[in-house]
Formats: sequence, structure tokens, C-alpha cells
Amino acid sequence: MKLTKISGQTGTVTTATPAIKSVTRREFLQTSSLMAGGSLLATGLSTGMMRKAQAADAAKPAAANTKIARTICSHCSVGCGIIAEVQNGVWTKQEPAFDHPFNLGGHCAKGAAIREHGHGERRLKYPMKLVDGKWKKLSWDEAINEVGDKLLQIREQSGPDSVYWLGSAKHSNEQAYLYRKMASLWGTNNVDHQARICHSTTVAGVANTWGYGAMTNSYNDIHNAKAIFMIGANSAEAHPVALQHILKAKEENHAPMIVVDPRFTRTAAHATQYIRIRPGTDVPFIWGMLYHIFANGWEDKEFIRQRVYGMEEIKAEVAKWTPAEVENVTGASEAVVKRAAQTMAQYRPGTVIWCMGGTQHTIGNNNTRAYCILQLALGNMGVSGGGTNIFRGHDNVQGATDFGVTSDSLPGYYGIEEGAWKHWAKVWDVDFEWLKGRFEAGKYEKGKDKDGNEIEIGVMNTKGIPVSRWIDGVLEDKANVAQKDNIRAMIMWGHAPNSQTRGTEMKKAFEKLDMLVIVDPFPTVSAVMSERKDGVYLLPATTQFETYGSVTASNRSVQWRDQVIEPLFESKPDHSIMYLLTKKLGFDKEMFKNISVKGEEPLIEDVTREFNRGMWTVGYTGQSPERLKQHQQNWGTFDYTSLRANGGACDGEFYGLPWPCWGTPEMKHPGTANLYDTRLTVAEGGLNFRANFGVERNGVNLLAEDSWSKGAEIQDGYPEFTADLLKKLGWWDDLTEAEKAAAEGKNWKNDLSGGIQRVVIKHGCAPFGNAKARAIVWTFPDPVPIHREPLYTSRRDLIEKYPTYEDRKSFWRLPTRYKSVQTPDHAKDYPMILTSGRLVEYEGGGDETRSNPWLAELQQHMFVEINPRDANNAGLKEGDDVWVEGAEGGKIKVKALVTERVAPGVAFTPFHFGGVFQGKDLRDKYPEGSDPYVLGEACNTAFTYGYDSVTAMQETKCSLCRITKA
Amino acid sequence: MARMKFYCDSERCIECNGCVTACKNANEVPWGINRRRVVTIKDGQPGERSISVACMHCSDAPCQAVCPVNCFVTTPDGIVLHNKDTCIGCGYCFYACPFGAPQFPTDGAFSSRGKMDKCTFCAGGPEEADNSPEEFRKYGSNRIAEGKLPLCAEMCSTKALLAGDASVVSDIYRQRVVNRAASALLGGSGLQQTGFQPSVAGTGVTSVPPESGKATAEPTGMPADDVPPSTQVPAPLQ
Amino acid sequence: MNDGSVKNPGIEFWDAVRGHEGAETGQVRSQVTSIDSTTLINPMGEEWRLYRMDMLIPTAAIVLGLTLLAIVLFRLIRGEIKIQGGYSGQKIKRFSTFQRYVHWTTAILFIVLALTGVILLFGRYIVIPVFGAEIGGTLTWLCKRTHDFAGPAFGVALLVMIITFIKGNMPSRIDLQWLLKGGGLFGKHASAGRYNAGEKAWYWTIALAGTLVVLSGLVLDFPNFDQGRNTMMYSHWVHSIGAVILIAFAMGHIYMGTIAMQGAFEAMQTGYCDSNWAKEHHDLWYADMQEAGKIDEPTNEPAGTLQLADNKS
Repeated sequence: MKLTKISGQTGTVTTATPAIKSVTRREFLQTSSLMAGGSLLATGLSTGMMRKAQAADAAKPAAANTKIARTICSHCSVGCGIIAEVQNGVWTKQEPAFDHPFNLGGHCAKGAAIREHGHGERRLKYPMKLVDGKWKKLSWDEAINEVGDKLLQIREQSGPDSVYWLGSAKHSNEQAYLYRKMASLWGTNNVDHQARICHSTTVAGVANTWGYGAMTNSYNDIHNAKAIFMIGANSAEAHPVALQHILKAKEENHAPMIVVDPRFTRTAAHATQYIRIRPGTDVPFIWGMLYHIFANGWEDKEFIRQRVYGMEEIKAEVAKWTPAEVENVTGASEAVVKRAAQTMAQYRPGTVIWCMGGTQHTIGNNNTRAYCILQLALGNMGVSGGGTNIFRGHDNVQGATDFGVTSDSLPGYYGIEEGAWKHWAKVWDVDFEWLKGRFEAGKYEKGKDKDGNEIEIGVMNTKGIPVSRWIDGVLEDKANVAQKDNIRAMIMWGHAPNSQTRGTEMKKAFEKLDMLVIVDPFPTVSAVMSERKDGVYLLPATTQFETYGSVTASNRSVQWRDQVIEPLFESKPDHSIMYLLTKKLGFDKEMFKNISVKGEEPLIEDVTREFNRGMWTVGYTGQSPERLKQHQQNWGTFDYTSLRANGGACDGEFYGLPWPCWGTPEMKHPGTANLYDTRLTVAEGGLNFRANFGVERNGVNLLAEDSWSKGAEIQDGYPEFTADLLKKLGWWDDLTEAEKAAAEGKNWKNDLSGGIQRVVIKHGCAPFGNAKARAIVWTFPDPVPIHREPLYTSRRDLIEKYPTYEDRKSFWRLPTRYKSVQTPDHAKDYPMILTSGRLVEYEGGGDETRSNPWLAELQQHMFVEINPRDANNAGLKEGDDVWVEGAEGGKIKVKALVTERVAPGVAFTPFHFGGVFQGKDLRDKYPEGSDPYVLGEACNTAFTYGYDSVTAMQETKCSLCRITKA
Repeated sequence: MARMKFYCDSERCIECNGCVTACKNANEVPWGINRRRVVTIKDGQPGERSISVACMHCSDAPCQAVCPVNCFVTTPDGIVLHNKDTCIGCGYCFYACPFGAPQFPTDGAFSSRGKMDKCTFCAGGPEEADNSPEEFRKYGSNRIAEGKLPLCAEMCSTKALLAGDASVVSDIYRQRVVNRAASALLGGSGLQQTGFQPSVAGTGVTSVPPESGKATAEPTGMPADDVPPSTQVPAPLQ
Repeated sequence: MNDGSVKNPGIEFWDAVRGHEGAETGQVRSQVTSIDSTTLINPMGEEWRLYRMDMLIPTAAIVLGLTLLAIVLFRLIRGEIKIQGGYSGQKIKRFSTFQRYVHWTTAILFIVLALTGVILLFGRYIVIPVFGAEIGGTLTWLCKRTHDFAGPAFGVALLVMIITFIKGNMPSRIDLQWLLKGGGLFGKHASAGRYNAGEKAWYWTIALAGTLVVLSGLVLDFPNFDQGRNTMMYSHWVHSIGAVILIAFAMGHIYMGTIAMQGAFEAMQTGYCDSNWAKEHHDLWYADMQEAGKIDEPTNEPAGTLQLADNKS
């Protein structure tokens, strides 16, 4: 109402026009530093200017009590740098990190709103439990004791596999590593995280093609691309800062940008060619392109001869995909497919980018391999500007995957074979037999040994239940689950449930559990989704801004985060909670044997050093905390395009030591910015394809031919290195005596001294050998990637020709249905194709972002996008409430958004909403004061059954629904 | 003398709304007030473009002209500020501004709008001491006084939103235009929307009209650009 | 085709913005959901600015100034219009208490609104330079808030007044003659009924223009119904033009009702008028009253004030 008196202006009340006071401001504006800042942020291209601006920044006297923290955005995998200013423990300002090589200070809505984490007004504030349907506050001691006692009781009754440890892509690397270790020492492989439902098919498909299942180049390397091919990737919303790099290539290299997507996305709006395909027809589309490439001889024949195995079989499959058939299946005409093929052939190197549009399918692994094969055929692999730039999802989903928070591998993709366990037992300094004894003694599954004899597989070596299927692990008849008992306790540690399909069944699963433990900064939808009255515990965890540690961006760069603020309320960082829990469960001694614990907080640097000692396969061994911190302090010295430091403390190293960073930290390997690039020596970050699939198959050589990385002393293909091979080559004596002692009988993956890697690299070779990439993965259900219609398809006429798989009795411990789902005609009642995706304002299940008012204000309603044609036919208007009913009966009540973004017959829903279930608002079920600002129906309530044939990735990109006015 | 301007490059803007939340971050404006917004035109159609809009800090500002209490002031740097102590919340600036920049905390009955709020180019308010708590409470941060530019532009994810001295901004923009023109000459092309238009069972739709004229069947080379030959530079910058 | 010209990549965009492309089909969107947030450039704003600054303010100043001038000139030329026969002491009841309450409520609200409105219109040139930004701003703010609340009240009062005073204000043939004779202001006698044509004109002006001003004012006063900028701008046009007309008219009315004419003010003050006054200015009404026997015998009572007005009626 009333105007406050203007301080210090009492004598000027009669001044007609308030004078502008600041001489200083004017002075500032006249200085060149501001102008430099202006042009820097405008072009974002010149590092010289960048440093000037930085200098101007540094010159500014900060308040005496101001602390500057350098941290990394905790939303997506781009890994944007953030400069946080903290005064008296309060996060008061967020400044753009102009010198950070990934984002040059740029942020999307989420990154620009990250400081709101410092407010945390909607956080889960105390440990709580549900008693008679009411939330009751607990002390940490009570909470840990009650949860621990129940876990031990379940372990006693049903064995360790009845507890499911659902981890998170939001962990730091150290926390992720500890999490996998904790589950392992508890004695189960029932541990998983978001990677299962985001890029597991990429990891499996890509790793099985050429060695490592990760983004091969980097966001920055896209600057060098001469063409950009994006399929199933809406980076403008999912990875906005990636567009900074993509648009740079588009504008400065004149690179055509092809976007293939069922939906006309914000990314498509910037494309030079946009191609709409029917959801789930990626393989036919890629084969359609290859049809033209092969027909016109546009493939890189020399590259294929030297470095690719199995392309002939691909050609045979591709020949079936005539332009007419491609058009019939995908909807894309010959002319457009040919034009895309021609563009990619004409402009090389071109990069291929994909995201969840390609991965989340029952044939996700076929899709990802098809994309790889396109790049192999074009010879775009192992070159700057080429590669498969697979944009991972969460900020540390790459790291959490690398550290094996998955039900099928230990850290470093060692797998869960006995050798892997022995390796890690040695790194952890625990007795292997003790470790084995922690697991269930019986056998669940039968397998085949190397000679093809049927053997029983130990529980320790049996893949656990994946997160996509945990509900079946709870609900499925005990007799059908390949373990001693159903899952009885769920630990949801930083994982939203609404990102998983089959919401209606998930609700039942939540209700059937003996105990549900939610460890998260927010209560999440898990806390409110079910009708449970008790047996739910909420343990408040911190965000990554209240702790510190390393995080791996999509491009494999490992970045160090400072702690910004102290833990808010009573929350504790994940690793402290893990310590408390393992102490209660009685294996803290083994777990933290070589990690010092201060009070209740394990020392992060010790954890980093411990994994440095064991992560030889993927080269997480050179990134010591000291080196990572040095990179963090020298952001500005790294080149914006190559990521290589130009002078300074990290001279010659790639930013964040992108793995593989071979050998010990002392070896000072610079990291590998672009994978498989033979133009550099291995010591400089060069590589070739990995020899991981044997040396020959059916008499055909699998090793590379006439191709090797620069400076290799073996100028041909070679297998992976072992102690024996070193001896044969006469390199053994290059090892020191200590290294020899450690390396004897070992190979490059389990020699803890790092000597084998050191010597091999000294001789210019890649520790993992030098082989061809394989276009056919003979260990997969579809060795040659083929098209199979989705389980819920509207093209019934194609099922006969492109049927799905047969049902499986036991797949990841569970019966898995394919054909029996596809056979009934669902399209009759559910005519619309339903697909899902991201919004820029929200992330994942959205509990965090929907609790941030700066973001929540921008997306206040869950909606479904429908084409005007469908809307008119159904009598719907923009903004109407509609029911979207999934083909399995799950219904969501949402707002209609009528738009031509989607084709007629296709409906799109974002997946970040939760807190409303089938029309019922669950707001009053949240603990008081911790309900997100925005609630909405979870699209996955309507999404249906369907799992990838290799990784059990859920199908969320292609289902069926019907939409009616509510 | 510098003249501070914003310019949003619609070729780069991807509607990530980073500028919108950066503004909230810098100025802690409450829910309901958006000093900056991103508008997308031709949503979902070829030619879709987004643009970020806020106060343009006009040289001859209409808000300033119509204010019944003359509470606006143009700083020597060309930033249009207003005095919230003088502001009476009449809404005239809101009518006059072509860009919809003025915002009001409430839209209450009896014209109870509260004090007008708008983008300050992160230059705080006209009256209070630079970066005083009082200034922050009323106007948000004063980055200009610290030698920094508005946070929205500094944080723009794709460097679409430019801020700074008009001559620097237009130099950068001109450079981009030249780059893109070269790109067009060398074979870049306009958007082509093509592909899947399925018939939908059960909805009575049996066929969908083809995207006539959009599919291209150029046998060789990249299709020619269909760019209108225009050299006119629009003048969102004064 | 490429003719070597440098294409501005923003050109299509700005063309589209200017042409409001897509706006009709709802294909312009923004995640910011405030009023008109999807309007990128509203050219109406500039028109409105030109209207307000170049048209309204100067024109209003001229109109109101000329009105004042006319009144002053009229005063100088004509002087006070006396009751030629002097006060008779004989009172005729002209207005009921209710009518007087309605009149004065409306009148006070009108004056408040007019003054505050005028300050909103011209304050920038008067209030702020004189009092400074802080005090001037506060005063103007008080004016604005008063205007905001008095407006709807005035609307109610106006409605009641229109109903209350409609009797006798219907136009008749007499009015034409009255007008032709210039209302008798310059010597010649003009016959009039209960209300003369000038009063009727005022009645109908305030009834019609007043209603428009009130309605448009309500549009401006209640932005909570999500009316867009354009609606409010149109309303402002109506509101401001109507208000200026009303104020000008009111100035004349106030002058005529107060110091211009002996015996006029007391009619609305006490409810009674002097019979000589009635005879001279409303002869037809006087005749009617006489016929109906509603004219009291002469008394020596002084005229009561409004506050002390009796409740006899």
C-alpha cells in the first residue's frame, strides 16, 4: 500500500525527475570489459574474449563473506558448469560460467533455475514414516533402526534377493560406486537405476558393436560436423545447451541438420530437413537410407574392409527394404529418404545423434545398432565431427552406468561372472568366499558354459530384476519368478516411479510390498501413489549441491563438484546414509575398509581413489581427485571445440579426462575425447575399435585389417592384452618388478598395478586390442537388426511380416511376454498411437523440478498433444479435459493441446507429471509442505507392457490409446 | 555513449525458457510476474520460430510517454527504469507498450494491480543505492552496477538472446547473418516437412491429403533454396 | 533461388510477427500464461499512446479550458441572473428528500471522480512538478485509488439517479422553443416545464454518456476478468472522451445551479424553490403546480439547509 520512504533521499523530495545516481554504473558501461562480456556472450565463440570477461569478473571485489563454488548442473547429461555465490551459508547468486567449455555460461530453464535448490521449500525435511495413513516424524536413529531391522528380517525369511536396491542417476560417481558395492555386499544383483529405462539399449547395442556403450565424441565435437542427423532426439528440450553446439555447426559449417522424429519438435523447427516417421520404425528408416547408400556405392568401402565385420549380412537385410516398403512401413517417401541418405553421404563427417526416441522400444537394441551401422557404412566413426553422439539423460546417468548400478554388471562393465567378482573382491579387499556367502545359496537359472553344456548359474552370477520389471518381481506368482521369493522390500533411492510404465499395476505392487523405503530429497510420487497405511519410510537425502564429488557428463568427461551449501533441514548426503545403513546391516567394516569415515560421512576422495584402483576396463583409473579438481579450477584453459587444454595447469589434457583415461593417475593420460580415433596415438587419446568378441568367427577375421591407431607398433589388428601376450611380444620386461608381480597371469582389465596398460600404451597400442566393429551381434536375439512391429501396433497388416518375439519363460528372472501381447487386436478399441517425451522445464519424474516455482510456473498442466484433425473428429478443443486411456486400461485425465506437432493418429504426452492418479488428486497425501507446486497425471499410468529383447528396456515410445472428452 | 539493447536471434532461440528462469533467479520476481517470456509462432509447423521478449528499453519509450506520474527514467545507457515509489499501478504503460513488458503483481478487482514491474536490464531501480537490499527487494539485482549484463542473456543456452551495447549486438548479429547467407549459398536449405501421415482406424479418417509441394524429388545435389531474395534487416533494435 | 543477395534469416520471422501469422489458428504459444503473452507486438499500443498524448490531453485541456472561459465570459456579460420579482417567500416543493440525496450522492461522487480523473490526466504536468515525485506520486496514487473505488459507487448512484429523475425529463415540443429562444438567457422569456431543455440535455447526457463512462470504467477497474489490452484500450477511449464531455457539461451545470442564478441552488439544497423563481424559469411547471394546489402560502421562514431539511415529504 504505502510507499516506503526512499532511503537517503529525504532532501530530494521535490526533484521532478529522479536523477540517475550511479556514476559508477556509467563508468562501468564505458569500460571495455563490459563490452567484451557482451560480445562474448553474444557469439559465445571466442575463448580469448572469454578470459577477458573472466578477468573482469575476478577483479570485482567479492564481499568478504562470499564463497564462490564451482559446481555442475544436476539436471541433464550435458554437464553445464555453474558458479554459485554463497553468503553466510545462503546461496545468494548464480553466475554464468563463461569459461566452462561445455556451456559457456549458457543454461536452459532448469539450469538457470538451479539456485532455487538453495531455497528447498518443498523438500522432504525429516525422516518420516507412515503410521495409519499419517506421516509421522522420526529421528534418523529410529528410522535407520526400523528400516534395518525389517531388511534383516526379510533377508532372514526370503533371502537377500527379496530386497530391491533401486539406485539413481542422480548419485555422484562416488555414491553410485558405493551404492553398487552396498548392494553387492548385501548379496544381491537386484540393483538398478534409471539407465535401464533410458539408454540401456544404447549401452548394450553400441558396446556390442564396437566396444564401449557410450557417446563416442562430445557435444563440443559437433562443431566439426559437416552434417547432423538426429533421430528420436528432441535435444532442444532435453539437452538445450547441446543446441548451442549443433547450431554452431549448422551455421558455420553449413551443416545440414536432419531431424527424424514422429513429432515436429522444437529441435525439428531448426532442421534443414525434417522427416516424420511412424513411431517404432527406426530400423526400416535407417535401412531405407542404407538402401540408397549401398545402391549408389556411397558407403566407405575401405573403412568397412578395414574396420567392420558383417556388413555383407546387413546388405542382404537392407536389400529387402525397397523404397516402397520403407514408405509403407515408416511413412517416409523414397524422395525424402534418398535425400537424407544423399545428404549424409555428401557431407562427411556427419554425426548421428539419438536419444530415447530410439532406445525405448521392444527392439531398442536393434535401433541403436542400426544407427551405428549407418555410421560404420559411411565411415564416420573415429573421426572428429562424426561418431555417434548419444545424449544421455540425467546428469550422472553415464557415471552411474559406468559404476554398475545395474542388475547385470559390477562397476566398469566387468559383468557378474566369477572373474568380475574376484576382481572387485580384490579391489574392495574383501574375501571372495565371504562375498559369495552373502548371496542366496541356491541356483535360479540354467545357462550354458563355453562348450555348450548346460550348467546351473550361481545367484551371484545371475542377472537381477531390472527396474523396468520390479513390479513384476513383486506381483508375479512366486513360482514364476526365478528367485527364492518375490521382492518384498523396495528401496527407491533417488528414483521416481512415474517414469516407469504400467502405473496401475505399479500401484498394486506398492501395496503388496512389506516395506517401501524412499531415500530422496523429495517425497516423490512413490510416497503417495498407493493406498498404503503403513510400512513406508521417507529418508531425506541431499541434492548434489549439499555435498561434493565427481560426475560424468554424457561425453565421458568427469567433472568435480564443489559443495555449495550445507545439507538443508535434516537431510544427509547419500553416502552418509549408506554408511548408517550398512552399519546397521552389519557390513560397514567390509564396505568402508579402505575408506575413511569422518563421523558418519565417508570421505569422497577415498572413494574416488578406490574406484581408480579397479576401473581398468573403461579407464576410470587416471581420474584421481587431485586431477579432477585441477580441471575444475581451470575450466577456461580448455578449448571450446577440441576440449584440449591449451597451456595452463592441464596443458594437453582433455577436459574432465573423458574415459578411457588409461593407467594410473601418475601416467597422466589426457583422456580420450573422441573414441576410436586412429589419427591420434593412444597416449594422446587415440583408439581403435575394441577386440571384445574374439579374434575370428566362422573363419573370418574379427581383428582390424590394415588399420591401427597412430604410432602403434603392431601395425594390424591385435587381440586384447594379457600378461602372456606381453611376454610373447617381448614387452614384459618394460614392466617394473612391482608391476610384474602384480601383472603375472593378469590382463589389462584386472592388473591392479596398471603396468600392462602403461607398457601397451608406451608401444602405441590400445590395451583392449584392435578389432573390427561388428555389424552383426550374434549373441543377440536379432544378430542383424531387423524390424519388428511394436507389441501395441496400429498396423495389424504388418504383424505377419514383422512379428515380435516369442514369449519367454525366464528373462531377467521373469516371464516376459511378446507375442501373446501382440496377437490380440488392440487397435480396434485403441486407435491412436501414444508416445511420450520430455519438456524443457521438467526432468525425469519431475518431483524436483515441479517443486521449483520458477520452473513449475511455466508448465502448470499435464497435457496430451493431439492433431487438429483428431481433435475435430473427437469434438475436442484446446484446453478441454480429456481422458487418455491406454490399451491396458490405465486412464489419465489431462488437458488437450491441439497442435500439428503430432501427426494425425498420434498423441504425445510428457512424462514428468505425477501426483494425480486416474483423475484423483493425491495432494493431501504428501507430507505437509512437501507437495510439489504442480501435480498432474503420470503418462505412464496409461503406458503399457513391452520390454526390449536384450536389456528389458521399457516401451514408452509406441503404445496405443483412445482419447475421449472428460 | 553506450545504448543498451536486447536482441533475440530467432534462428537460434529454441524456447528453452532459460532466459525466463534466469530472470527469476536474478531478480526473485514472484510467481505470476514474468519480466521475460518466450513466444513461439507457427507452433508445430514448418517455419516455427521462437523469440524471447521483454522490455526492449525503447529509445522513445511509450510507457515513459504515457505514465501519469512520470515515473520512468531513461538512464544515460539507454536503460528504461521506473520508480516503484512513484508508480501508481494505473496500467497505462501496459496499454502503451507494444511488447507487453509491464507486469503487475495482481489483477485484482478495483484495479488493484500493485506496482508495475518490468525488466530493468538487470540495472536495479532508479533510486536506491546500488545493490542495496532495498533495491533488490523492489527491483531485483543490479548487475549493470557490477559490470555485468542481464542474466537472461548471459545464460541463454544457444546464445540467441544478445544484450549489450547496440553497436556490439548488431555487429554480432550481422556476422551471423553473413555466416548464414554463406550457408544458404553453399547449399543449406529451408525446412522440408515430409513423411508419415497415417490413416487412423476407427476415427473415420481414411486418407490424409498429401503435403503437396513439400516433398521434393531432386535427383541430384541439394534442393535449391526457396529463400525470398530479401536484404531487408528487420529493426527490432532501434 | 539464390541470386547472391544476403538473406536476413530473421526476415520471415518478423514478417510473420507483423502479419500476426498463425495467431488466428492458435498456433502462437508461450509457456508464460499471462494476458496477451502470445502477442509479440501490439501496434495498438502506439495508437493508444498517440491518442492519449497527442489527442486526449491537449483536446481535453482545450475543451475544459474553453468551457471555463465561456462561463467566465458569460458571467461577465450577463452577470448574476436575479429573480426579477424578488423572493416571494412562497415556497414550492421542487425535489423530494430522496431526490436530493440521490442528486448529491451522485454529484459528490462525480466531483470526486472528475477531480481525481483530471489529476490522472494532467497530474504529470501539475502534481509531479509541484510536489515532486514522491509526494506527487503518493497524491496521484491516492487519487487513483479513490477513483477506482468511487467509480463503481458512482455507477450505482447514476443508475438510481437516472430512474429517479426520468419523470419530467422526457423531451417535448416546448423544449424546441426553449432552445430557439436561447433558454431566455439573453432577455427573451422562454417557457419551460419542470425541467427546461438545458436541464434535459444535461440529464440525457449524463444518463447516456455517464452510463458509457461507467461501463467502460468498470472494464478498466476490474482487470481480473482477463480482458486483454485491446479491450481495455477501447474502453479507455470511451471512458476518456465521455468523461471530458461530462466534465465540461458539469461545469456549466454547476455554474448554473450555483452562483449563476439567484434561487436555483436552494431548490436542490432545501427541496423548495421560490415561487417567483419558478414563475420566471419554469412557468409551465408553476402553472401545473398552481393548478394542483401545491403551492404553499408565503412564509417568512428562512430556507433550511440540506442537513436540516425536513422530512415532510
